[in-house]
Amino acid sequence: MDVYEVRGRLDVIAEELTASEEEEEAVSVKQDSPDVSTAQQMKEQLSRSRSKLSQKIVEMENFASNLEEIFITVEENFGRQEQNLEQHYNEVLQTLSQRNEARAAVLDEQKNSKLERLYGQLLLCGRTLDAAKELIESAQELHRRPDKHAFLQAVTPVMKRVEQFSREEVDLKLGVSLDFDVPMMDLSQVRQMMDSINVLPAPSAPVMNPQIANSATDTSLHVCWSLFSDDTVEFYELYWRLISDDCTMETPQEVSQLKVKETHCTVSDLLPNAQYELWVTATNTTGISPASERAVYMTVPSPPVLKPRQCVSSLDSALIRWDSGNTNPVESYTLELHQTHADAGCSATECIVAIPSCECQLQLQPWKHYIIHIRAVNIGGPSDRSEPITVSTTGTFFHLLEDTAHPSLSLSADGLTMFYLDEDLPISHMTFSDNTFNRCVAVLGDLVPVRGHYYWEIDVDESAEFRVGVAYEDTQRNSYLGGNNTSWCMRHILTPSRHKYEFLHNGWTPDIRITVQPLRIGVFLDYSRGILSFYNAALRQHLYTFSCQFLHYVQPCFALDNPGALALRTGMTAPPYITQP
Amino acid sequence: MALTQVSSNKCSDGYQKVFEHDSSELKCKMKFAIYLPPKAESSKCPVLYWLSGLTCTEQNFITKAGSQQVASEHGIIIVAPDTSPRGCNIEGEDESWDFGTGAGFYINATQEPWKTNYRMYSYVTEELPRLINSNFPADPEKMSISGHSMGGHGALICALKNPGKYKSVSAFAPICNPIQCAWGQKAFSGYLGPDKSTWELYDATVLAESYSGPELDILIDQGRDDQFLSSSQLLPDNLIAACSKKKIPVVFRLQQGYDHSYYFIFSFINDHIKHHAKYLNA
Repeated sequence: MDVYEVRGRLDVIAEELTASEEEEEAVSVKQDSPDVSTAQQMKEQLSRSRSKLSQKIVEMENFASNLEEIFITVEENFGRQEQNLEQHYNEVLQTLSQRNEARAAVLDEQKNSKLERLYGQLLLCGRTLDAAKELIESAQELHRRPDKHAFLQAVTPVMKRVEQFSREEVDLKLGVSLDFDVPMMDLSQVRQMMDSINVLPAPSAPVMNPQIANSATDTSLHVCWSLFSDDTVEFYELYWRLISDDCTMETPQEVSQLKVKETHCTVSDLLPNAQYELWVTATNTTGISPASERAVYMTVPSPPVLKPRQCVSSLDSALIRWDSGNTNPVESYTLELHQTHADAGCSATECIVAIPSCECQLQLQPWKHYIIHIRAVNIGGPSDRSEPITVSTTGTFFHLLEDTAHPSLSLSADGLTMFYLDEDLPISHMTFSDNTFNRCVAVLGDLVPVRGHYYWEIDVDESAEFRVGVAYEDTQRNSYLGGNNTSWCMRHILTPSRHKYEFLHNGWTPDIRITVQPLRIGVFLDYSRGILSFYNAALRQHLYTFSCQFLHYVQPCFALDNPGALALRTGMTAPPYITQP
Repeated sequence: MALTQVSSNKCSDGYQKVFEHDSSELKCKMKFAIYLPPKAESSKCPVLYWLSGLTCTEQNFITKAGSQQVASEHGIIIVAPDTSPRGCNIEGEDESWDFGTGAGFYINATQEPWKTNYRMYSYVTEELPRLINSNFPADPEKMSISGHSMGGHGALICALKNPGKYKSVSAFAPICNPIQCAWGQKAFSGYLGPDKSTWELYDATVLAESYSGPELDILIDQGRDDQFLSSSQLLPDNLIAACSKKKIPVVFRLQQGYDHSYYFIFSFINDHIKHHAKYLNA
């Protein structure tokens, strides 16, 4: 089957697919038909066949493109062999005709020189003849003269001349031989060339195979290639070069090479999440083949790094965040979730694949413990597992978000306590960003973006002047908590005579007196009822409740108006006196 | 003690009833209102006692406060007695609106001619609960108390004088420090005589300063535009100061724009009933 037939097949499958899609749509349109359940079944069947078909299409397309490459290479190889042979023979013919010409030239020369010699001889003969004729004529003429006196005077030299002349030997031999001297032809080279036609040719170029899924690690690649001809090969040389890695590259990289006997090889000592260009040549006694086409392989990424401080969870959900672990982007992430049981280690594992960004929101069972790993995935395959984190769905868990904190705040190592120290920090330390509070000495926490209910507690010093409550994520960083319409908080002010409490939103507070200073404040947030309540958690005393329909998700917020400390308690659910009055 | 039903109206799925009986403490016929939530048909319910203010009867609260809906939701019985003995024919009992009839001040009078009948303190803390517990599906262990103005004073002193008897207490615009205000001085001198030490037994601020007992959780709402606040009859600051000193938990809310009327009670009764429900239904 040739590539065109394959293509044709693919078109047919695509047509079938669209047909089945239309069918599925038609089925879904009939939602209100009495037979909804069968329609549902059919829909499911169709979508299953559809996904199978799509898979098949992908496989066939990959296969088709590989076939095309092989087809082209085989054609090229045979074309080259053909050319080679033609060339060879042309050379032989050329050499022969050259020799032929040379020989002919030599013979020609010989002929010319012989002819010249003969012609020379002929001329000489002619002259001799002419001279003899002249003499004879003059003698005859003399003989005919009547004047005997004059005849006697002239006759002696003439007689001498005639005698002299007749005494001369006439060379009647041919100056040249009539045979040609045929030179010996040096046909040894031609013979050699004829012989070499029958000798083993150099191999044709191999073909690089595409990267096999899951064959790479973060530092190695398993490379395969094939030879589509009957050539004998002694060994292959594999070449590779880094073409992009996890950092920006300035200069083109060096080429490395390796001699390999088989048609596959594992190349190690590579960089993670990097693309390598690979090509291979085949060598035998005759010579080296041309290089194959260059294939690009990719190593798998480095494992991601989970960010426990930025993960939040509640009774039935969690938001997990991590760092990619690679500078260059990866294709996607996979999240692995194991539920742990108190008695028997790990049990069920769930996998969430094709996560496009560095965070994932999970739906979980309440009162359980989960272990979570992340892998980064690129075309080379998945990375190793990241270090795990444990999520317990036993209450509201979160930490203070360092990158929102006013520079005068320092957070404890566990991200749960904040300190506003009574010392002048150096100006260089006061680095603000778009995300940090720059007037109110405040910091934000985080909650799972689900409109459920949440509870946390805050421990304060007796003398701490604080603001605690919730705010929208984009609450103005240059204003005071409670002073705008994007934050709601309880505020404690210490005057020389008494404790003052405010419940601030949009700068307004009701007038409330509290006789027993709350040192452990419970904050309860219920999106569905639109309430934010504050309690003296130690006394289970209700202090105040804001009624507000939160338009967006809110985040816990904390501030200190004067030097002091404030500690967060998380991991709790709202006590019964709050949820079951 | 025979109870006679005076009226019964279905309300919020329960029943708002009024009963009359012969009171042994007050030596006269007394009426009280009782709201029975739907839950009372099948099980015992906790009881909230509501004490009304000057000039009120058992009717004002049940017709004006709008408490039945939330009481129904939380399954709480609300008992609202009258504010003083009636029809006793005591001389001077109708002379002023803030002393005598409709102004019992929830004390046990020691002076003549009041001491026979004006024993509202004992009526509210002993006779009435006995009556309610034996005639209605009331949980005798679960009682709370609340009131308005003079009734607020009554609720506070009943709770402070009976540590542990009431699960929770709340008040609307209470008279917090009667011995320091005109109303209290008039009433106490009339009912209790000139000895101010006897007055202190019925003063919430004084009682708070010497309170020892299980922890209380007091909710007080006060209208900022209450004329009696500005005329120094209520004196909440004194109570707050005493409770701050003795670490008695109080949340005192000054409500902007509200006055002394039942409209004010209506506006915040839900918060109070929920406050009591937290402890009564725990």
